[in-house]
Amino acid sequence: MRITVSRNARALLASLLVLSLVAACGGNESQPNVAQVRVGAPTGPNAAVYFMARGYDEDDVLVSASTDVAGSVEFHETTTNDDGTMTMQPLPSFSLPAGGELILEPGGRHLMLIGVDDLKVGDTIDVTLTWQNAGEMTVEAVVVDPADTMGDG
Amino acid sequence: MFANKTTRLLLLLVAVVVLAACRSGTSTGELQGTVLDVPQEKGSFVLTDTEGAPYDFASETEDSLTLLYFGYLECPDICPVHLAQIAEVFDQHSDLAREAKVVFVSVDPDLDTLEEIREFLDNFDSRFVGLTGTHEELAAAQEAVGVPPARIFGEGDEYTVDHAGWVIAYAPDGLSYSIYPFGTRQTQWTNDLQVLAALESE
Ligand SMILES: [Cu+2]
Repeated sequence: MRITVSRNARALLASLLVLSLVAACGGNESQPNVAQVRVGAPTGPNAAVYFMARGYDEDDVLVSASTDVAGSVEFHETTTNDDGTMTMQPLPSFSLPAGGELILEPGGRHLMLIGVDDLKVGDTIDVTLTWQNAGEMTVEAVVVDPADTMGDG
Repeated sequence: MFANKTTRLLLLLVAVVVLAACRSGTSTGELQGTVLDVPQEKGSFVLTDTEGAPYDFASETEDSLTLLYFGYLECPDICPVHLAQIAEVFDQHSDLAREAKVVFVSVDPDLDTLEEIREFLDNFDSRFVGLTGTHEELAAAQEAVGVPPARIFGEGDEYTVDHAGWVIAYAPDGLSYSIYPFGTRQTQWTNDLQVLAALESE
């Protein structure tokens, strides 16, 4: 379950490229810009998908998600309680304010793939996101080692 | 005047060098996890390992660098991150891997079978120890090491497990100096496991 340095570097380059494109095109978008889409290699029946979405000139809401490689997809949020314990709870949707961002990351919000297929590090999967206003879009998620889902190498 | 200036310059240089050392990810000799005000003694409890045999935590892990984590298998978000980060340190430091004991306790014995716990841990490192027990035994274990007991409630879609999000580390001398909350970075793990492994018992 190790990811090679070169793959890390490539992923970083790719996300930098996407970010600079976002910066270059900022303001004229009519749909969310979704970058750094990654899914932790499954270690059990479920897996979590993370990404960073940048808002455009309208408020939008991610209302559903689907993928061929899982039975269903749920919206979850992990929160920390007063005593330091952590809880994962379902949410109905994720909102993306105009010009704002929606960050899905470990220890926070994620798309949970329920009953996921066996995915290997380096594989890619298609995830279809349905936004209330922007409609459907399909993004490609890279399968990474769980240690790399946080994006700190 | 001059002496003062030189001193200040020297201090600045030292600061820069220290910063550079931290950045390069080499071991600093200082713990970077959440350091406890008072080091804690290792608690003792007995649970069942993935072979179905009793596992006496205190005696099995005596004199070893020990990492203890309470979680559950349907947790795809934070549980795998801790374990994968520790496994990554072991990949790079086989000496640490040989001496350390990593103990994962499933707090969800109704759903997680011994076989499933074994399969889960084999994703990371087949040397990781998997334990579980009855709800009573698990409550006693969590109390013995001072973590808030995991709570399981609801069914189906509403099913949730509250559990401590941090890893407890014990140095080979049997004391816990630091814990590792969720969000600990790979570089912190790499540093601290080396620092802790050096704290041998007398
Ligand atoms: Cu989840």
